Amino acid sequence: MVLGVARWCLRQCDLGGRRVSGAVLFAILGARLSAQDPSPLSAGYDAEQRGDWPEAAAQYRKALHAGGNTAASVLGLERVFSELNHTDSLLPVLDTVIAQRPKDALFRSVQLRALRMLGRQDDERIAFEHWVRDAPKDPTPYRDYARALLEEGRPQSADSVLDRAQRALGSGREFLVETAQLRATMGLWDASARAWRTVVDSAADLSASSAYALRPTPSASRDKVRAIFLAPPVTLGARRALATVELAWGAANDGWMALSSLRPDSAAIAAWDEFGDAAAAQGDWRTARDAFAAVANASRVQPPALARLAIRAGDAALRAGDAPAALAFTDRALATGIDSGTAARVALPLKIRALAALGRASDADAALRAYAKFADDSARARLARDVAWGYVRSGDIARARTAVAAAGLGDDRELAGWLALYAGDLGAARTALRQADAPTTDLVTALALLARTRADTAAVVGHAFVDLARNDTTAAATQFVAASDVVRDAAPLLLATAARLHTARREDAQAIPLWKRVVEQYADAPEAPEADLEWGRALARGHDVQGALSRWEHLILTYPSSALVPQARREIEAARGSATS
Amino acid sequence: MAAAALARATRVDLWHHGAVPMLLVPMDDDQQNHLKAYGLTYNTLKAGGKGEWLLNYKGGSFLLPDLPEVRRRAALAGVTVAPIADADLEAARGEIASSNMDSIVLEKAPTIAVYSPPKSPPWDDAVTLALNYAEIPFTNVWDEQVIAGDLTKYDWVHLFHEDFTGQFNKLYINSRGAPWFMEQVVRDQDAAKRLGFPTVPALKKGVAEQVRAFVQRGGFLFAMCGATETLDLALAGHDVDIDGPFSDGTPMDPNADAKMDWSRALAFQNAHLETSPLVNAMSDIDGHQANVPSRKQPLGAFTLFSFAAKFDPVASMLVQNHRTVIPDFYGVTTSFTKATLKSANVVLANEEGAPWVKYIHGDSGKGSWTFLGGHDPEDPQHAIGNPATDLSLHPNSPGYRLILNNVLFPAAKKKPLKT
Repeated sequence: MVLGVARWCLRQCDLGGRRVSGAVLFAILGARLSAQDPSPLSAGYDAEQRGDWPEAAAQYRKALHAGGNTAASVLGLERVFSELNHTDSLLPVLDTVIAQRPKDALFRSVQLRALRMLGRQDDERIAFEHWVRDAPKDPTPYRDYARALLEEGRPQSADSVLDRAQRALGSGREFLVETAQLRATMGLWDASARAWRTVVDSAADLSASSAYALRPTPSASRDKVRAIFLAPPVTLGARRALATVELAWGAANDGWMALSSLRPDSAAIAAWDEFGDAAAAQGDWRTARDAFAAVANASRVQPPALARLAIRAGDAALRAGDAPAALAFTDRALATGIDSGTAARVALPLKIRALAALGRASDADAALRAYAKFADDSARARLARDVAWGYVRSGDIARARTAVAAAGLGDDRELAGWLALYAGDLGAARTALRQADAPTTDLVTALALLARTRADTAAVVGHAFVDLARNDTTAAATQFVAASDVVRDAAPLLLATAARLHTARREDAQAIPLWKRVVEQYADAPEAPEADLEWGRALARGHDVQGALSRWEHLILTYPSSALVPQARREIEAARGSATS
Repeated sequence: MAAAALARATRVDLWHHGAVPMLLVPMDDDQQNHLKAYGLTYNTLKAGGKGEWLLNYKGGSFLLPDLPEVRRRAALAGVTVAPIADADLEAARGEIASSNMDSIVLEKAPTIAVYSPPKSPPWDDAVTLALNYAEIPFTNVWDEQVIAGDLTKYDWVHLFHEDFTGQFNKLYINSRGAPWFMEQVVRDQDAAKRLGFPTVPALKKGVAEQVRAFVQRGGFLFAMCGATETLDLALAGHDVDIDGPFSDGTPMDPNADAKMDWSRALAFQNAHLETSPLVNAMSDIDGHQANVPSRKQPLGAFTLFSFAAKFDPVASMLVQNHRTVIPDFYGVTTSFTKATLKSANVVLANEEGAPWVKYIHGDSGKGSWTFLGGHDPEDPQHAIGNPATDLSLHPNSPGYRLILNNVLFPAAKKKPLKT
């Protein structure tokens, strides 16, 4: 509880802009804890700890009258009165204390807080005026009051206060942070960015605050913000601020581009490391890979640490689908003289997964054999599964089956289902995959197909899914189109699947004829509205706006109850907007 | 082709007697997209068709000819329409005849101009948004076109958020360093010079006079936000220096208040000018004073008045809605204090118990004007730099309906107006 009180104090004091005061309070509380004296202040803390607010108030009042630690007594009363909803009772106390110590910023801040809490804006303004009168050269009253006004949602009043402060004190540098926050609150994004740029150039630790303030910048204003932070000179604070805000805008790669041009000193490397973690936390593994790779490449650290960095970069690369980089980083980690424990626990499994992902199943298999003695059963089974997938990716379904059998994975229904599907045994795949529980895109596609057709065998379908597993989407699309002539009861689904693969690769010229076939030959199929929508999108990407509009209109008029109608309407709105701009 | 077919079919007067099947466009809660329903109606008229506005019937529904092209447009826009059988239509007409309802024939799509700067400032314009969303075509005009007399080409003119006193909405107080503001000042000063006016206030007063003449000649004027208040200040202060030094280099005439000629104004009288160039208000016309912290009033909700449809068709048209109480929204001018209203004005909506009203209408010369306070009905706290409101997220907005009522109101077939 005492620690909780201390945290509360720190938070309150931070709101007032003085962490130092918070630290002083910690010291006070620390001293109290060690001394265990029975003073009224101490009794007040104890009562507060028990939640006996009236008693705590009485003790703090007693402490205040006794002299001694006035600050702690007043802050205690502020907390307790707040709990009792008697904040107005604090005001006469503050009047007395302020009369005795008119230049003490702590009590003035408490007074502004209390008046704000009570909603007495006019009195708050008067209190501020008195503070300025008593401490005319002190920037604190302007800063505290401007912050209070910002918190109250009165940015224009805050602007007036800061403007007045600048005139009274002859410089705006004292208030750069407040000015920057103010401009952001007012929606003056480039003005805010300019002010933040000045702040973070000299105080890099405020880059997180600037990113937080600039996060709501609308899309149209973001390029201006970017230009301000990217302008020379290149500073750590500016680049870190921009990188953080880019992450928040969902543009992690742009953030990394901003950060990566820093000279690789220890502060920059720490920033890269931190950014990599943030990108990874957002699931942007490609950017995380780049950041971790840069850290690993730039660090002049000793082998164990270097190995850890390389493994982290390798892991991010693998999650990003970049198996070659994953393998390279893993090999680098293993080449650093990594300890056997880390090698067995982390590096080798990563290497096996990377090899399997590359379709180098034999190498993965060999590595697994070498590693097997270090691994427990579950880790071994997991990696054996990866190896089996490696064989699939290399197109060797027979070896994949052997690997599954050798690893004792015969009970793995999902794996068995996939292998059956690859062999074109749709009946067996239908039974086995129904129980799969990892809803990957490929699995959803497979289940949709198996539910749609009554066919029990179709080799060409197996070939299509093998190509898909090998990440050869062009070949997979060709096979799906071929399969549509064989598995006729699922023809529109197979054509749509092929078209989706082309669309994902931005191969609109290949996708359009397929969408067209679905719309024209299978108008009653569930895929037809999607085909219309995507056909239109493909035409729009090719700048055929009229053609696109006719597709979307066709969708709306032909399939009025389709769930895609709102999307088609949005597309029409967007296309008309772009046509007139 | 389709439009021509529509025109041929609806030009036959027989449709009004039941020979042409009709579509009902309900405007109560059955309607999926109220805003686009106005566009559907407008574009049907534009294609040569006729329609009817059934005042107070199902939220102010429309009757349109049941033609494939109308159905197609409704489906594309997501507007709810329902074919209405002759017997049902007769029953509806009976209900309309015996209740506080009326049927107004809509026969001509008005030509529309929006007074809007060539390069948009960092705030949106609710009318432009509504027209674009409803797919109602319009033309942008600015100072050059207005001074050249181009307003005669249009039936209906909307005034964008503009300060006709020429004081740049007093945005120099807070935004003097903003690039968009500096650009606006230079643009307006250039325009004044090019068009032969000594100052920006003189130019804007010249524009205000053209707008007034447009109304006098029979035009329909619709203004929102600061354009309402400043238009009248510019008209009443035509021969008075009502501007601070930022705009014309000279201080305001100390006796400006007394010299105002309110007989020249459309809606307001006896208002008092804000004399301080550092207070972001123009006068005491606005009840909310959103940009003056010490005077700012909180937002409430305003209530649309109910009018006798058969006797006050104009006022009735302007308040057709599926809601009667609408949340208020701020603007440079949010509301109009009752004490400054001319007695001939028709108050269309007010906030109960408040000393201000929200929505007013009146006649002037052969034309009429309608003023709606506030900036954006779906963005009550609208601030500079905020992104434009996406109306596809507010297809049933009752506040935006008020704007679109105004667009269709000039389409009504002229008949003796009692208002």
